[in-house]
Amino acid sequence: MSENAQKEKNKDNTNGMLKKIFNFLKGMPFSFILLGIISFACIMGSVIPQGQSIAYYMDSYGARKGNLIIAFSLDDVFRCWWFIALAGLLCFNLILCSISRIKSVIAAWKRTRRIGIWGSWLTHLGILFLIVSFALSQYTSSEDEIYGIPGSSQPLGDTGLQIAIDSFDVWMRDDYTVDQYVAGLTVSNEKGEKQRGESSVNYPFRAFGYSFYQNSMGWANYLDIYKDGELVKTDLLCAGEYSYPDDFPALVIMFSKFYPDFAEKEDGSFYTVTPLLKKPRSLYGIFYNGNLMSMDIVKPGELISVHDYGFVLRDPVQYTLIVAKTDPYAWTVLVAASVLIAGLVLSFYIRPWEENRRKDNGEN
Amino acid sequence: MARIENISFMTALAAYLVSAALYFVYIAVKKAWASKAAYLVMAAGFLSHSVSIAVRGIIAQRLPLTNQYEFATAFAWGITLCFLFFVKRFKFDALGAFVAPVIFLIIGYASMQSREIHNLMPALKSNWLGFHVSMAIIAYGAFGVAFGVAMAFLLKDKVHGKIAETIPDEKTLDLIIYRAVALGFLFLTLCMVTGAIWANNAWGSYWNWDPKETWSLITWIIYAVFLHLRIRKGMTGKKAALFAALGFICVIFTYIGVNTLLSGLHSYK
Repeated sequence: MSENAQKEKNKDNTNGMLKKIFNFLKGMPFSFILLGIISFACIMGSVIPQGQSIAYYMDSYGARKGNLIIAFSLDDVFRCWWFIALAGLLCFNLILCSISRIKSVIAAWKRTRRIGIWGSWLTHLGILFLIVSFALSQYTSSEDEIYGIPGSSQPLGDTGLQIAIDSFDVWMRDDYTVDQYVAGLTVSNEKGEKQRGESSVNYPFRAFGYSFYQNSMGWANYLDIYKDGELVKTDLLCAGEYSYPDDFPALVIMFSKFYPDFAEKEDGSFYTVTPLLKKPRSLYGIFYNGNLMSMDIVKPGELISVHDYGFVLRDPVQYTLIVAKTDPYAWTVLVAASVLIAGLVLSFYIRPWEENRRKDNGEN
Repeated sequence: MARIENISFMTALAAYLVSAALYFVYIAVKKAWASKAAYLVMAAGFLSHSVSIAVRGIIAQRLPLTNQYEFATAFAWGITLCFLFFVKRFKFDALGAFVAPVIFLIIGYASMQSREIHNLMPALKSNWLGFHVSMAIIAYGAFGVAFGVAMAFLLKDKVHGKIAETIPDEKTLDLIIYRAVALGFLFLTLCMVTGAIWANNAWGSYWNWDPKETWSLITWIIYAVFLHLRIRKGMTGKKAALFAALGFICVIFTYIGVNTLLSGLHSYK
């Protein structure tokens, strides 16, 4: 065989191989492999608790399984690189599939003028758009949390917006179940323009391109710190927060939990009878150099003495946690979903209907 | 009112059981009266079931679609609705012998749940609840019918005589499975889309990888693969029937397993 013929043969082999790879990448078997792995990852992600500490997995699953979970990022499946890569490959597969089919779909459309012809193609396009728009929304959206008590105000990150919590109400029914959480907000921008509104669960307040979601609530206490009987510091602590005397940071008080209507069970555990402020008590802990020294329950205003220092938890008040989010491409998800639904309706209902009609009319 | 709800629910439960028994009689003796009686009893049960759900809605002053009991009873209602339609549409009387037991099992599961009416938590107080859950009911109902037909398909080879005669040919069974899955798939997609819109309104994110969402996606993928193989590769017969059965097992897990075994945003226990 001459050198040229050999080169020609090698080129044909390479082209053949590339064609095979291309056909595989755009083909159904590849998409099924990807969907199979994605499904398996989804099962893992729903069975294994996500986003816990390494110690949690080691304790819960043992060292061997725990290490495997961490090594394969099964503790954060839906955000790990290989899951995102799988979604990317699925998009690639859908793009190739859509491109390779468009000619035949257009030809079929020109030949038959049956709208149902577009169904399958639009369905694939809808899925592709959905994944891309979801990713776009995830990467371009920004989210921040603010929490505070009525009357407080704080900036929203570096957005230039200032959020004032004007009011916070918990609407309760007679049986003390919660009907709604409602926060009154005033949002102002750098120009001094203000927008006022209410944010409740399912009904976010929208202002200056942001949506403000009523996310959570809890109890806060004011904390007064005394040294030798003299007030040296006042803080507002939400449940789970701590504070310390500025001149003695090794001594820490943590406000652990609040019981608006305190009661104690026979086994010694605490609970609240109603959510109303009838018999308020706070559970606190005193730490010295990170070690728990004492833990107890106090009434509002009751003095907790530790050597030269005194701590007073007082005036319990409810705080609200608001999530502020901006998502400039959220609408693309809706467009993609509409394309997908349209594609499915065309695939399953318009096309068969037209076929039936043609059959009834004796057409081919 | 609570008494009316209770009586109509129990009537539906009994009717579905009697209907299943009559359908078994039908496939055993192949007498038309048995299938007609079974269908009528099933339809009567469906009416009574509808009354039970409507009355509960009136008592609760909201859509009764928010807890294990309410969704289980609505799930059974959805399968019955799809069953009544598919039986008439495809003239497959014996289908009841395969679907009625499923309906009875699901409403039986509902009867074991707490029927106490609770007030809605704020997260569920949304107009999207009705759209989202009703899409799920129709989707699950259609998948339930596909499962029943798949069982008929898988058992067809193993039974003889009159029972075999009551089951349509494989081509018809295959077509019903396809039609039921296609209907269910469309509504499952709508369920997921309306749920995503609702989630965005409530939490500011379309998708949160909550176990219910994740298992809905897994179910969606299984049926998507089924439809692909059916339409593009002409997958029919036993494989298609097994696929439809697998999909429904996934549906059941998404509904019962996820709510009871996995915690998440949907576990309103």
